[in-house]
Amino acid sequence: MDEREGKSALDKATGWADRPVFVRGLIGALAIVGLLSVVASFIPAFRNPHPHFGGIEFPGFFAVWGFVAFMFIVLVGQHLRKIVGRNETYYDDRE
Amino acid sequence: MTIENSLFAALAANPAVILIVGAAVSAALPAMMRRPAMLAFVSASAFQLAGLGLGNYGVLSIFEEPVAMMRIDETARLFAIVFHIAAALNIIYAWRTQDRAEVFAGLSYPAAAVGGVLAGDLLTLFVWWELAAVASALLVFAPATRATYLAGMRYLVIQILSGVLLLAGVALVYRETGSLAFGEIGLRDESGAIKTSGLVMLLAFGVKSAFPLLHNWVQDAYPKSTISGTILLSVFTTKLAVASLVRAFPGTEELILIGAVMTIFPIFFALIENDLRKVLCYSINNQVGFMVVGVGIGTASSINGAVGYAFCNIIFESLLFMAVGAAMHRTGTSKASELGGLYRTMPMTMIFCVIGALSISAFPGFAGFVTKGLIIDGAGEAHLLWLWLVLLFASAGVLEHAGIKIPFFTFFAHDSGKRPQESPPEMLIAMGVSALLCIAIGVYPQPLYALLPHQAEIAAYKPYALYHIVEQLQLLIFAVLAFAVLKLTKLYPPEVPSTNLDTDWFYRIPGRDLLRWAAAATSGVWGMSWGFVSRRFDEALGRVLAEHGPEGRLARSWPTGFMALTAAGVLGLVLLLAFSVGR
Repeated sequence: MDEREGKSALDKATGWADRPVFVRGLIGALAIVGLLSVVASFIPAFRNPHPHFGGIEFPGFFAVWGFVAFMFIVLVGQHLRKIVGRNETYYDDRE
Repeated sequence: MTIENSLFAALAANPAVILIVGAAVSAALPAMMRRPAMLAFVSASAFQLAGLGLGNYGVLSIFEEPVAMMRIDETARLFAIVFHIAAALNIIYAWRTQDRAEVFAGLSYPAAAVGGVLAGDLLTLFVWWELAAVASALLVFAPATRATYLAGMRYLVIQILSGVLLLAGVALVYRETGSLAFGEIGLRDESGAIKTSGLVMLLAFGVKSAFPLLHNWVQDAYPKSTISGTILLSVFTTKLAVASLVRAFPGTEELILIGAVMTIFPIFFALIENDLRKVLCYSINNQVGFMVVGVGIGTASSINGAVGYAFCNIIFESLLFMAVGAAMHRTGTSKASELGGLYRTMPMTMIFCVIGALSISAFPGFAGFVTKGLIIDGAGEAHLLWLWLVLLFASAGVLEHAGIKIPFFTFFAHDSGKRPQESPPEMLIAMGVSALLCIAIGVYPQPLYALLPHQAEIAAYKPYALYHIVEQLQLLIFAVLAFAVLKLTKLYPPEVPSTNLDTDWFYRIPGRDLLRWAAAATSGVWGMSWGFVSRRFDEALGRVLAEHGPEGRLARSWPTGFMALTAAGVLGLVLLLAFSVGR
């Protein structure tokens, strides 16, 4: 923490977005809205009356697909780095 | 409004010409007056556009074929309007940039894009198409470093290639149809075979809209421009190409697959990219992919979706570029590994950025939501399950790189220790207006809907149907929760400074080596052949000299010897002449 010495008190205080209470509150709020949206999809009034793909549009389908897609993108996508990742000056050294 | 059918009158009525004149005038003015003059010219051009209304203008005879130089239909009008908005916002954002080249490009580049979308015939389109290439290249060259010079040359080569393809396509279309009118071209003829004219035109549009494998000039050139230059670049070229696709290739099935690939692959490159402006360039590819899919499906509502989404995208994509640009303006970097924690001192910029992020992710209440659904529904109506799943997958991907990565790594994430000032007022105004538009369109989309090309279909569309909100919230919130899980379990990859190879590698490394090798080989072969010929010549001359030279055998009576040689030469020449004439 030596490098932070000499900075103002404002800098040392944890910003509002970094406080655990905010992070927990945000994730909690999102989880509640997410759960509500899944619960709602079981109620006919909140369901698409004319689904295009009735076979797979089960209640909560969009939640599952969104979660799985995001996980796949991050967990699988990061390995792309091993194939195409080079050091930062790759082109500068060669051009 | 009636317009005289002369070239001059046709030009004078064109809003794009007002902008071009404005570009020249503004660049010539004293520094302090440049930006206000630019705003005045954009206003004048917008006023002219509004005054013209829908219709054909400037009907001229080209090759004895009547063509309208300017055709304002609903699609062209929509693009022209949003191009004016984007140009005006950029002028405000870059209010303190007085550089002549940037000022000139700041109006001439939008002018070329406006002229292109309003073009009624293919020759007019070609002229604006090339002007867009040259004017935008000025922005890539603007920082005037070796890296931007090289990138600018690569950019120019690719853009001119697109222009050459377009010109070839125009010739082929003219040969086929006998008309230069810019209407539907289509890729296949009645029998279902691929037309050369259609293929060449599609390639020309494909280079500019950055089809997969033709996409990398975006990431190569755009982030190397100046801060405001990059924002301007992000708007026009690719959307001019989208507008051209809408007019020439609606319902071309191949575009569905091309667009679907475009929505997917940039997601993965954006995930591992450290430079946030490059992340946004991949986002351009991904976003244009949604539009290309909409054009490919080709139904009235999916065309509405493609065009409407382009309108909204221009506003929120440039808002994101503006926010990252503002952070870069204050900190000198746009790299995720060097940013973070800026929300403490740049709260307004952070809020605007988050609004842009919510819009591009298509959260209900924001601009993306009210138009993106049209494209995804289009896939459903066409009963293409794979496409529908791909577009939903890509929507989660948009949330990842544009919705979360951009605001999170700029303004939150780990504290970079940087405490820059809030963005300057002109940047805040431009971002504020953009953010306001994102919310206004999201909450009250009717004015935008009123501008869409297919009114009957859009009247039946209810973006805020309950099920639509529920489905979208499920998709997005569970994707955000996945991010939270990955962060809390430390499975989310850290941002590391790196260069990620993409298709530009092929022409920057092996292509460059090949070019150098080819140049060296050509020079070597030339040297060898020249050496061979000149040695033979020297030898022959040596032999002649040995016989006829001052010391030669036949030079003992040298005038006779010389005479004999000359006579032989002249006779030979006559023989050659007689032979060639006699044939």
